[in-house]
Amino acid sequence: MREMDLPPDDLSAISRRSFLKGATQVAAAGGLMGASAPQDAAEPPALAEVETLSGSSAMELSVNGTVQSVEIEPRTTLLSALRTHMDPPLTGTKEVCGTGSCGACTVLIDGQPAYSCLTLAATCSGRPVTTVEGFGSPDAMSDVQQAFCDKDGMMCGFCTPGFVVATHAALERSPGADLDELKYELSGNLCRCGTYPHVFDAAQAVQQDRARGGEGR
Amino acid sequence: MSHSAKGSPASEPSWGKRSDLDVLNRDIPRVDGPVKATGQAIYTHDVRLPDMLWARLLIHPVPRAEIESIDLEAASEMPGVVHIEALKESGDTVRYHGDDAVLAVVAAETPEQAADALREIRVKATSLPPVVTRAQALEDDAPVVSRRRNADANVGRANERGDAARADAALAEAVAVVERTFEIPVQHHACLETHGHVVQPAPDDEPVTVYASTQSVGGTPRGLARTLGRDASRIRVLTPHMGGGFGSKFGPGLEGALAARVANTTGRPVHLMLTRADEFAIAGNRSGSRQTLKVGADSEGRLVGLKLEADKLGGVSGGSLPGPPYIYTVADDDAVSSKIRSVHTATDGSRAMRAPGHPQASFAMEAAVDELAYLLGMDLVEMRIRNLESDVHHRQLRRVAEEIGWAEHPHRDRPGTAVNGRAVGIGFGVSVWGPGGRSSRCDVTVRPDGSVVSATATQDLGTGARTYVAAIVAEELGLTVDMVEARIGDSDLPPSVTSGGSVTTGSSAPAIKDAAHKAREALEALVADVLGAPVGSYSWKGGRVSVRGDASRSLPWIAVCALLREPLVAQGEFRDFLHEGRIHGAQAARVEVDTLTGRVKVLKMVTCQDQGLPLNRLALRSQINGGMIQALSYGLLEQRVFDEQDGFLLSDTLDLYKLAGAQEIPEMVALIDDEDERPSVCGMAEAPVIPGHSAIAGAIHNACGARLTRMPFTADNVLETLYGKI
Amino acid sequence: MKDFDLKLPDSLDAAVGELPSEYSRDGAQVLAGGQDIVTVMKDAIERPAALVSLQRLGLDAIEWDGDGGVTIGATVTIQALAEDPNMEFSLPALREAARSIGSPQIRSQGTVGGNLNQRPRCPYYRHPSVSCFKKGGSVCLAEFGFNKYAAIFGGGPSYYSHPSDLATVLLMLGATVSITGPAGERRVPLSELYLLPEDALDTETVLSPDEILTSVHIPAQPPGARSSYLKFKERASYDFALAAVAVSVTRGDDGVVTEARVVLGGVAPKPWEVPAAARALVGEPMGPQAWTAAGEAAVADADPLEHNGYKIHLVKGLLFRALEALA
Repeated sequence: MREMDLPPDDLSAISRRSFLKGATQVAAAGGLMGASAPQDAAEPPALAEVETLSGSSAMELSVNGTVQSVEIEPRTTLLSALRTHMDPPLTGTKEVCGTGSCGACTVLIDGQPAYSCLTLAATCSGRPVTTVEGFGSPDAMSDVQQAFCDKDGMMCGFCTPGFVVATHAALERSPGADLDELKYELSGNLCRCGTYPHVFDAAQAVQQDRARGGEGR
Repeated sequence: MSHSAKGSPASEPSWGKRSDLDVLNRDIPRVDGPVKATGQAIYTHDVRLPDMLWARLLIHPVPRAEIESIDLEAASEMPGVVHIEALKESGDTVRYHGDDAVLAVVAAETPEQAADALREIRVKATSLPPVVTRAQALEDDAPVVSRRRNADANVGRANERGDAARADAALAEAVAVVERTFEIPVQHHACLETHGHVVQPAPDDEPVTVYASTQSVGGTPRGLARTLGRDASRIRVLTPHMGGGFGSKFGPGLEGALAARVANTTGRPVHLMLTRADEFAIAGNRSGSRQTLKVGADSEGRLVGLKLEADKLGGVSGGSLPGPPYIYTVADDDAVSSKIRSVHTATDGSRAMRAPGHPQASFAMEAAVDELAYLLGMDLVEMRIRNLESDVHHRQLRRVAEEIGWAEHPHRDRPGTAVNGRAVGIGFGVSVWGPGGRSSRCDVTVRPDGSVVSATATQDLGTGARTYVAAIVAEELGLTVDMVEARIGDSDLPPSVTSGGSVTTGSSAPAIKDAAHKAREALEALVADVLGAPVGSYSWKGGRVSVRGDASRSLPWIAVCALLREPLVAQGEFRDFLHEGRIHGAQAARVEVDTLTGRVKVLKMVTCQDQGLPLNRLALRSQINGGMIQALSYGLLEQRVFDEQDGFLLSDTLDLYKLAGAQEIPEMVALIDDEDERPSVCGMAEAPVIPGHSAIAGAIHNACGARLTRMPFTADNVLETLYGKI
Repeated sequence: MKDFDLKLPDSLDAAVGELPSEYSRDGAQVLAGGQDIVTVMKDAIERPAALVSLQRLGLDAIEWDGDGGVTIGATVTIQALAEDPNMEFSLPALREAARSIGSPQIRSQGTVGGNLNQRPRCPYYRHPSVSCFKKGGSVCLAEFGFNKYAAIFGGGPSYYSHPSDLATVLLMLGATVSITGPAGERRVPLSELYLLPEDALDTETVLSPDEILTSVHIPAQPPGARSSYLKFKERASYDFALAAVAVSVTRGDDGVVTEARVVLGGVAPKPWEVPAAARALVGEPMGPQAWTAAGEAAVADADPLEHNGYKIHLVKGLLFRALEALA
């Protein structure tokens, strides 16, 4: 039996305590962080004024071609900014893992695919963001979105927005990708229902359509 | 008042001849595809209500502990905190990792504030030995960890069947005998949408609205009635879309009850969705097992005796494992004996998961069949056919064998050997399922303006249910699918079933068909006044009704509906003869093994699956593929991992709980067994998940002679099986 | 994630000025692509009071020398590295390593500097509730616990394996890194960049908290040298290495190996060069006999824990396959 305080006040306190091999300190699910006293160690004075974002502030975020002012903190992820800070919230982008492991939160930043759950919104100033909503709407779908419908590239649909964005990115990056290369370019997205084969079908259908001169989105 | 179509029909509904179908048994793009593909589909996670609070749970990180104190003071003073409560107090114990480890709930104005407050909760506790493995549970002085407070052992009562002496005698006579111990880890459902609810409270005279990520919109009101202090009829549950369930989302759970309680207490809407780590901790799993299976065969390859001793590892729940012989037949029923018991660990209880217990049983049984075939020098397919009663399985096995290239495969009755470390093998497995159907209702409304609504309180877990709710009506009335609006996911609609055990289609589809048929007959009664032919003598095709055999006497759909003075509501119910009860499947897998590195690459998987009349061939292939892929993922990668020293759940992220991704996916062939001409419909989603990992293990064995007796088939497992543990 | 200040300096000096000279868990840290540090901050494994972004420092160039060497800026993305038109021909092993990293999303946002400075993937280190040597604690739970992914070389008192694919190849290529701190710039060979747990527990590199890795320089490779990188992932889609090998072989006209270099990844707390494996190749013709001998030499000093002995087989097999592909 071991005594434990959750969470420990600070880690130096833990390391000072003596433990038998195999003994462990435990923190509650909230994490190991202590009472979150602000750091008071003196910093060397900066040479020049460095732009610093601190606490809640407004920033301009360009999403799907529209610039909107959103109130965020430095820690606010792009995913959180989209889903809970935008007005109205853009909930097409999904949160599934929170650790950049699944791709449900995939968006394009400056045209490049990104996990919005690992992206700090504050670093997106001046970098246009495209979410699944930016590619099309139910009445005017992009070619990829249409192909996902035609080929049944979805089941429960929770991974679908991320896959749609990732597929757009993949076909932008490797328009002529063969099936193996398509799988490689889509390997950052997980589906639990097992929709992958129909996602590949959809991507290949778009390739064929674009090769025949389809307009793309 | 509206027209009612309740009266006894002139004829019974029927699915009709397959050659006559215009909508069903074809590829139907799902009706909610566009909203899903564009991010417009609203899942419970996405619900945003005015004044809504965001709630989070604090879960104790190790399975067993004595709580000294839970100090909420600092947390309660954090900005934005509206509600905070501890679920344990001084002197309480945490008895297992799971819902019993939930220590507190916090609700705040923003998700960030809820998370900040959670970090400020101070807990003093003493951890107790974890009891997370079978071995720990079976130690002499192991603490008792059952969910029941008065339990006195970690081992449940054994379910013993058959006569061990008879089985021993038969095994002694057998020409070939194989005995193996199989170890199967716990699998998580890993629904991409975590469990959770948004609860919108209401004054006593108005219904409470609950958005739920659930497999049971119909059952959820009952599950929340007591917490909400009101009758279930005054709770409306909405599940417009849901992000996967797989058996884990039948009831509201503790997280639902807490959402309801916080909403009741604060009078504000509450959004409480589990985090991914919470989901792994308290949202259920597929039980593991340890099975020692001994099977004997005679010189003809017929199974003659079987003994099974198995421990189900369902944490604080019992776990699942069907009795032997799984699907296969032993010549003398009395020569089968089994002893199956539950061994409890202080871990989250198992729940139903897509064919509960069956993939576990399949893994052991298919392995035994493979090994007996090799001992006897028999072809793997022939060995199976000899021991399977159903000729459906026989034809399906032959079909998948053909598709996988079995006849050209060089070693069909013995394992191959690696050349330069490279080996290719093929394996097989079979499945059965008996989904059946049960009471379900559906209303079909036809309005004078030609619009049609098909409504039933089912939910679409991703199966395509919403699409057939419309398509069945479209078929009956000669319309296109887009002319029928499907309404589901609302507990106020005519009741349907909880979606578990593949019962949804077999229950809902007959009720939808019945309603559509009644609507059709009611419309024919009106049409009869215009076109002159009696009810029952009309053909509904291509948006027109015409007298059968006289196409010149016809009306377009819009003119038919114009005959209505008010909306026609046809109420359908479950009709037993419209559904089917039993389904079969066979699978084959081709894999490549690198015996130098332990790499297993699945090259191809094939399934042949029956289900009566396919409602939507496109969604059906999706479901078959999905079953194969979940089995592949289970076989190659998935494994819950606890630290055995202190009891931390290590695999509580999607980094460490590994699901198959795009590059795991082989060539996949989903064959719909069209030789099944039964004039009825059946759910099928459980079946294709049952044998895939077994077929992969068989293929590894067939490739290089390594019989993997534990899952998953990762490099460490393959290399240790080939060369022994270092 | 606990809140923090985000610093957006416009110059390298200003960036260095925002960093603390002593390590503390609250001290400011560097933000490049954020693909690793955001995950450790979300789980409160690190809790810096400030992040200093390299976004505006223009460290994102790939510059080829006339002689075949190349300098790669710290904020060059993994994707840009993989797509560089010269890479496939000049440094195929580096391109392969870049392609093997993470996923398209990670490669598109993650940077070369971030990849080299990423933190361990040990499940205990990554678990928010576990304390360990790496987090100021006094135990390595992996030593006697779940250690399937742990190091078989160089472990103790902590047993994490280093996750960087680029580091493994860069060591094989003889790269150096440029580091800027308060005292100016210094260059450190890749072979000296990483520390073992016996040398340091709160970091994995020789960078002090107020230093920034600004670029990587890869010298021109010996004429005729052929190299490859082979990574074994438990999951083919998006995973870290269970083990990896970076190997370079130069052969004479008679086909006999004249020079070789073998570096292992995923099996030690730093990229693990095995000179003995290289020696086993030199003087031999390329063939299964030499490849097997090199594999045996590579693992001769392995010291596995309870559940990672399979990595010994795996390293031998991977080295065989990598050499086979070069033959």
